This record gives sequence, C-alpha cells and structure tokens, in this order.
Amino acid sequence: MNLVRAEVERLSARRFVQLMVVLLVLAFGVTAATTLAGSHKPNADEVASARAKAVEARRGMESTHQACLDRQNGLTQPDERGDWYPADCSELDPLRAERLPVAADFLPGVFSFAKEARPLLYFLIAFLVLFGFLVGASYIGADLNSGGVVNLLLWRPRRLTVLGAKLGTLLGGVLVVSVLASLFYLATFWVIGQTAGLAGRLSGDFWRSLGAVHGRGLVLVLLATAVGFAIAALGRHTSAALGAVAAYAVVWELGGRLVLEIVDARRPDLLMLSSHIGAWLTGEARFWDSQLCAGSRPGVTCEGFYSLTWGPALLVLLLITGGLTAAAFAVFRRRDLV
Amino acid sequence: MSAVIEIEGLRKSFRSLRGGKRVAVDGFDLLVEEGQIHGFLGPNGSGKTTTLRALLGLVRADGGRMSVLGEPSPELLPRVAGQVGAIVESPQFFGNFTGYRTLRLLARAGGVPVSRVDEALDLVGLRDRGDERVKGYSLGMKQRLAVASALLKDPRLLILDEPANGLDPAGIREMRDLMRSLAASGVTVLVSSHILGEIQLICDHVTIISRGRRVATGRVDEVLAGHDRHEFLVRVAEPERAVELLRAAGLMVVVDAEALVVGGVTDSTVISRVLGEQGLWVGELTPLRPDLESVFLELTGAGEHPSLPRQVDHATPLPGAEGDLIDLDVRGVDA
Repeated sequence: MNLVRAEVERLSARRFVQLMVVLLVLAFGVTAATTLAGSHKPNADEVASARAKAVEARRGMESTHQACLDRQNGLTQPDERGDWYPADCSELDPLRAERLPVAADFLPGVFSFAKEARPLLYFLIAFLVLFGFLVGASYIGADLNSGGVVNLLLWRPRRLTVLGAKLGTLLGGVLVVSVLASLFYLATFWVIGQTAGLAGRLSGDFWRSLGAVHGRGLVLVLLATAVGFAIAALGRHTSAALGAVAAYAVVWELGGRLVLEIVDARRPDLLMLSSHIGAWLTGEARFWDSQLCAGSRPGVTCEGFYSLTWGPALLVLLLITGGLTAAAFAVFRRRDLV
Repeated sequence: MSAVIEIEGLRKSFRSLRGGKRVAVDGFDLLVEEGQIHGFLGPNGSGKTTTLRALLGLVRADGGRMSVLGEPSPELLPRVAGQVGAIVESPQFFGNFTGYRTLRLLARAGGVPVSRVDEALDLVGLRDRGDERVKGYSLGMKQRLAVASALLKDPRLLILDEPANGLDPAGIREMRDLMRSLAASGVTVLVSSHILGEIQLICDHVTIISRGRRVATGRVDEVLAGHDRHEFLVRVAEPERAVELLRAAGLMVVVDAEALVVGGVTDSTVISRVLGEQGLWVGELTPLRPDLESVFLELTGAGEHPSLPRQVDHATPLPGAEGDLIDLDVRGVDA
C-alpha cells in the first residue's frame, strides 16, 4: 500500500502527465466553447418548423419504401417515375433505418445533446486512448531510463511487485482521470444542450447506449495504457512504444493492407488491429468481402458485407495486451538493470 | 566478527547484440565483516559497479555465491533490504521535487517513518536546503541527497558507489567524517571509489579489483606493508661517493635528481652507519612507504593477463604493468 501511495505521488508529479492533463482540459475547453458559441436556444417557431420537416422526411422515407414495394409487386412499371430502387426493398424500410429523422436534424446552429453526445464521446475516448498510451509509455520508459526504477528496487528488491505496483497505479490513475473527465465532459455538453440548444430525446435506450459506448471506451483506454506501458518496459524507453506504434501503423495497417489487397487475400480487415478497435468501440463493424457474393445466383440478394462483433474483437485486444504485458513482466524479472 | 557481505566466485559477462561477450566480473571474491569501513577500489570498468549491482540484485550473476547480512542474495535480499542503504552510481531524482519530498517519497515506498527524512537530511548537511527543488542542487548536493536516501533506513550496512563524485574538498571531508561517525555507531560501510587518498584516510580494510578479478584484499596497512620495497630516500653532501660506499656495502642505490634511493635494507641505521663511518653525514633519511595509489597502480595491471590465477592477492607486479589503466576493453576474454 505504501508503494502504491508513493507511486501515485510520483505519477501525479510527472511533468508529462501534468502536460497531458492540461491538453485534455484545453481540448475539452475549446470543444465546449466552440459548441456554445455556435449554438442557440431555438424559439418555438424554429422547433415547430423542424418538427414538421422531420415528419415530412419520415413520410418521404415511407413513401419511397412503398414505391419500391409497389414496383417489386408489379403495381408500377420500372421506368414509370424514373426512380432507382434496390432489389431488396427492405433496405429502404424506415423501420430498419439506423435512425429516423428528428427535429434536431432540421435545426441548423442548434446543438442537440441527444444527437451529438455519441460523436463527442468518441472524440474524448480517442483523446483518452492517446493520453493513456503516452502516459503509460513515459511513466515506465523514463523511470527505466533515468534510474528511477533502480532507485526503487534498492528499497524494494522485488521486481514483479514494483512493476506490478507501477502498472496498477498507472491503470488506476488513468481510469480515475478518464471517468472524471468523461463524466464532466458529458455533463457540460448536457448543460449546453439544456441552456443553449436542445437536450433532444434522452430516453432510457439513449442512456443505455451512451453508457455502453462509455464503458467500452474506458476499457479501450485501459488497454492502450497497458500496451504503452508494456512496450516501453520491453524497450526500456518511451520512444520504443511510440516507434512500435508508428511502425505498426505504417508497415502493417498501410503496407500490409496494400499487399493483402494485391494478393486478393480474403477479409484482410480481420487482420488489422484498427478493425478490432472499431468493432469493440461501436459494438459491431461491417466490412466488404468481395468474394462473399462471387458464387451467388443472379436475382438472389447478396449484401457482400460481413460483421465483426465486439466479443471476438475484445478477445483479440485482450490477447495482444495480455501477451505484451506478460512479456514485459517476464523480461523485467530477469533483465540486467545497468 | 560476522560477515556482512560475502561474495565467492562471482562471474558476470554481458553479451552484445553482435554476439560479442564482455567479461565484467571473473570469479571475484569479497568479504566484508561487521563494523568495517571497507574500501572497494578499481579502475573505471574494472567491475566495481557490476559487482555491487549483482550483490543488490540489479544484475543477474552468471555464477558464484553472494550473501548480505547472512541472507543469500538476491534470492532472500528482500528480507534484509530494510537494513541495507545503498547508492549505485549517481541516482537520478525528480528535478521538480524538493529534496525533502524526494526522501519522503522513498520513505513511503520503503515503509520508513517520514520522521527519518529530517534526520537523514541533517546527517548529510542538507537540512537547510531540503525545501529547495532538486534541479537547483549542485552535483555535490545531489550526491549528498543520494547518500541521505541511503541513510533513510537507518541501515546496518551502507553500500556507497563513488559517494565523493562531484563533491568539493569540503564536501569530501564531510563525507569522510560522516562515514567515520556511521562506522563508530556500528554501521558497516562498503565504499567504492577511485579517489585513493580518501580510501586510505577513511577505510580500515580494502579490496582492489582489476578486470573483474580481486588483486588485493585485507587491512589497509597490511596491503601497504605487503608492497613495501624497503627503500629509503637519502640526502647526503657527496652523493657520488655515497653511492660507491653503499654499493660496496651490498645495498641497491638509484640516483635520483636530488637524492639517492637506497633499497635492499630494512634497517635505516645500516645506511647511516655505512656513510657515517666514512665521514659522510646524512642530511635526510626518509623511509619510502608505499601509498594506496602506488599499490593500486601496481596491482591493477595484473588482472589483464587471463593466464594468471583468479585471486592474485599480493601479486608480483608484471613487467610494464605499473600504471597501465588505459586499455580496459576485455571483449573476447573467456570467462
């Protein structure tokens, strides 16, 4: 417990951590300020007009769907109206749409919390992932490089305990910062929506969905933190983590993807970490498979998409993080600290 | 007296990425007994720091046996870590922390009462500067802070690697007094250094390492006595005649620029008698005692010959070995 307390103090005293927190506050402040400046509370006429437009848009969707069904059932001729319809009319079914038009869609210059909360949260999570990764890498990288770890081991000559305390403290600290930052962030935008825009439709489903994204985002932040820590511990330097990520992005995500496409490999997205991160964060990611419809008969509907769901995506992310962390501990246990 | 540090046959080599091997410590032995101020000498790159790091569990030994305060190290080092204060080379501290906060952090990490911080700062003369940020400290002050961190635990054993680094003469003197007072209070001190005069002043025992091998160990006066060539500096009015007389008496004489160096005699009265009987009166007759520096320079050339035995205590100096401290690259030497 004493070791953890000391590590908390060391972590919070790091200039880099303080700088990242300042950047977090700045990014948050700029986003909130620009949102506030670009939004206004709509008057009754604007709201009524927007609602009418939303109703009209929904009706338009229904009529398009109906027209598609009419043509499919032979009630109208294909070129009668000059419109194009997909072979499967269910694609146009408003009931299957991801979301239906709402009044907020027709209120330019009005911030809607219900509409914007999710993308805002994604932005914050992206920042926190970067925050966690960099702080995790610099925390152990700088300590290994400067002799801080050696100094600590002279006091506590238990390597795994010391490294474990560092990682535990780091994860705990990043989690606390992330939870506080995200709650404060969402609360601020909720207040902006209430006072200078629209709150929107904040149903139970909305909060459940937002909570799920929030929870998955926090897990992603912790995984990124552990990966940054583990790579820097393996490479003894903060730059090792930065270099590894840059190399992975360039060599595999760009170069590897290109090569896989050239050799016409099947489902190359499954081999990309970015796909798994996206699938985990959004719950499901859909990718195009050019060979999926290769053998389908003409006239039979074939979408050509396949899904990567959050379960397998999380498994892959956990395996990579767990593997790197275990390797870092195994190497640190035997490493010569010179 | 019980052994506080025991090292037997310690071996450690480092491999480079290119496949080369550098032997850092090659079958080294060390015994430090309770209450000693034990000097650990060696040229740069001779294996001092590697030995201390291995003893403290910071590098893995390839072979050998070590114990600290009776516990095998590094396996059971955690049992006695609370009684061992150590600094290895110059530890780094957070520049934006004050000296006090730095020590408080370590005290917390080690489960030491925070009240010890002021005492430790006091011991190294930093009490008045404890509230200043470490980045404003001089090199010597940082070194004192490092020593203070080692003293925080109120240790039974203090291991100091080059504690005088960066200290000014006054600081070196304070460090010397500090070590003496610690030893007087029962703390065993192992201090590595290449400031030989300091070691001779402070330490009662010494071990000299060269190329990873022990080349001398024992009480400082015994090590020095072992290298006494029984020579005397003689000043006399007629040096040419004196040389003839002394050589005729069977003594070895070397003519120096201003005096004679006479060897092969243990009793100085022999010299004064030989010269006095012929009417030559001696102006100065001074025994030439070896100091630690001359012994060190003489011995640290011995380890570069792999064919020599592992322990070469009181070794006969090799021709041309004196003062040869330059080429320390031992890559390719087999363990």
